[in-house]
Amino acid sequence: MSAGSFAFFMNVPTLFFLGLVLAYPVIYAAYLSVHQVGLAQLRRGVFTFNGWDNYSRVLEDPLFWIAIKNTSIFTAITVGSEVVLAVLIALLLNQTGIWTSRITRFLILLPYAIPPIANGLIWSFLYSFQFGFLNRILFSLGLIDDPINWAGNPDTALYAVTVPYIWRTLPFAIILVHAALQGIPRELYEAAAVDGARAWHRFWHITLPLLRPIIAIILVLRTAFAFAVFEEILAITQGGPGDATWVAAWYSYKITFSPPNNFGMGSASAFILTLMIGIIALVYMRMVYRRVTL
Amino acid sequence: MFATSRTAKLMLHIANLMVIAFILLPLVAVLIGSIQSEKALQADTRRVLPLEFTLDNFTVILTKGEQKGRIFEQVTYLPDNIKNFYTAFLNSAIVAGSVTFLTLLFGSLSAYTIARQRFRWTLFLLQANIVARFVPVIVLMIPLYVVMRSVGQLNSLSGVIIAETGFLLPYAILILAPYFDTIPAELEEAARIDGCSRFSAFVHIVLPLATPALAACGVIMFIISWHELLIPLILNARPNVMTLPVVIASLVGDVHVFFNLMMAICLLALAPTVILVALLQKYIVEGLSAGAVKG
Repeated sequence: MSAGSFAFFMNVPTLFFLGLVLAYPVIYAAYLSVHQVGLAQLRRGVFTFNGWDNYSRVLEDPLFWIAIKNTSIFTAITVGSEVVLAVLIALLLNQTGIWTSRITRFLILLPYAIPPIANGLIWSFLYSFQFGFLNRILFSLGLIDDPINWAGNPDTALYAVTVPYIWRTLPFAIILVHAALQGIPRELYEAAAVDGARAWHRFWHITLPLLRPIIAIILVLRTAFAFAVFEEILAITQGGPGDATWVAAWYSYKITFSPPNNFGMGSASAFILTLMIGIIALVYMRMVYRRVTL
Repeated sequence: MFATSRTAKLMLHIANLMVIAFILLPLVAVLIGSIQSEKALQADTRRVLPLEFTLDNFTVILTKGEQKGRIFEQVTYLPDNIKNFYTAFLNSAIVAGSVTFLTLLFGSLSAYTIARQRFRWTLFLLQANIVARFVPVIVLMIPLYVVMRSVGQLNSLSGVIIAETGFLLPYAILILAPYFDTIPAELEEAARIDGCSRFSAFVHIVLPLATPALAACGVIMFIISWHELLIPLILNARPNVMTLPVVIASLVGDVHVFFNLMMAICLLALAPTVILVALLQKYIVEGLSAGAVKG
C-alpha cells in the first residue's frame, strides 16, 4: 500500500466523525440561521428561507447586546485574573524549599476534576443568600453582620459567577505556566544573581519575557472558552437576576429552548458566537502551529 | 539577609495557605453540605458546622429512595432523577468509557499519520482539528439534534457516544500528535525492511511506545466526557438514558430538592474524576501541556 492511501485509510474514521458531528452540523446551523424555523417547521421539516431576517432580529434585540456585553466583561475578568494568578501560583509552586508549596502542588489539579455543572451547584450553595456556606464562614469569622446576596444582587451577580469559573479553569493555566518555568535554564538566573540582580528584576527581565509565548497561548485559549461559558450560569443564576448574567451561550440556549422556540434566531446567535470564537481560533493556530503551512 | 529570607519564607507559606484555602473552599462546602439535614441547614443559617451529622442524604440516593432514613421520613415526594442515580452513574460510565476508547483508537490513527506522513492534506487535517477544537457545543445543539433524530439515535447512549467522540476527537489528536512526533521513525523503518506492513509497524512498534501518551490522552478524554452536559442534555430526554450531569442539571430550580441532597449527589458525581485526577495527575499534566503548546 502506498504511503498516501495508507494515510487516507488511517483517517477514514476521523473524517467520518468530523464530518458527521462537526462539519455537517456547523453548516446545517448556518443553513438554519437563514431560515424561519420554529417548533412546527422543525416537526414538518419544511423551512422557509428568510435571508438575513434572523440575524437582523438578533442584532436588533437589546438582550443580545446585553449578553455580548456581559460575556465580554465575564471573559475579561476571568482571563485577566487567570493569567495573573497562574503566573503567581506557578512561581509559588516552583519554590522547592517551601514545604507548603508541595501541598499546593498536590492539590492544584483538583478543580479540573469537578464537573462544571456540579461546580455550579456547589457555588450556588456557597452563594445562597439565606443558607449559603460563604456567608456562614464570614459570620463565623465575624466579618459580616448581615448576609450578603452574592449572586442575587444585579450589581454583583456577574462578578460572583466569574469566581467559580476561575476556580475550575485556573489549574489548566497554572500547569501550562509551571511547565514553561521548568524550561527556563537555571544558568540565566545564576548569571543574573552574579550580576547582583534583585529577585524582582530577575522576574521582570528573565522570567516574564520567557513566559510571554505561553501567556499568549493561555490568553487566546481561555478567551475562546470563556466566551462560551454555560454550565456555571445555568446552575447559579440562570441569567438572572433580571438580565445581569445573560451571556452569549445562555442567550442562544434560551432563544432556542424556551417558548416560542425560535430555532432560526437561536442558530443565528450561536453562529455569531461561533464566528467570534473562530477568529480567536485562527489567531491561536497562527501562534502555536506557526511551522504548519499550507 | 537572614531576616529578609525568613519574612520571605513566611510570606510564601501564607500565600500557599491562601491558595490551598481557595482550592478547598468548594470541596469543603460540598462535603459539609452533604452530611447534614435540611432542618439543620435551615435552623441556624450562621453555623459552618452543623450540630449533628448524618449520612441519610447518601442513603436515600443510593437506595433509590427506598430507605428514607430519619431526615426524609416526612418527605412524600422525591424527584425521580434522584432515584435514578445508579442508572445515570452507569450511563455516564458507559458513555465516558466508550468515548475514551473510541477517541484513543481513531485519534491515534490520525495523530500518527499527521506526525509521520507529511502530505498537504494531513497538514490541512491538523489545522482543521485545531480550529475544530474551538467549536462551541451551543452552535451544534440543534443540528446535532436533527442529525441524530434522522439516524434514529435520539434517546440512546450510542447517539451521545457518537456525538461526544466526534466532538472530542480533534483534542485527542492534538494531544497525541506531538508525542508520535517524538518517537524515532528509524524503529518503524527497520521493521518495514523486515517485511512488516505499515499498519502492523504502527500497531506493534509505535503504539506500545506511545503508552504514556495514550494514558494521558485517555484520562483527559474520560474526564471531559464524564463532565459533558449539553450534548446528552439535548439528545436524551428519557430517564433511562440520562447521564449524571443531566440529572444534576435537572435539580437546578427544583423546589423539592434542598442543598443537602444536591450536595450529596454532586459529591457522588465528582468522586470518580477526583480519584482519577489524584491517581493520574502526572499524565494529565503532560497531556494538558502537550495538547496546548506543541504541534
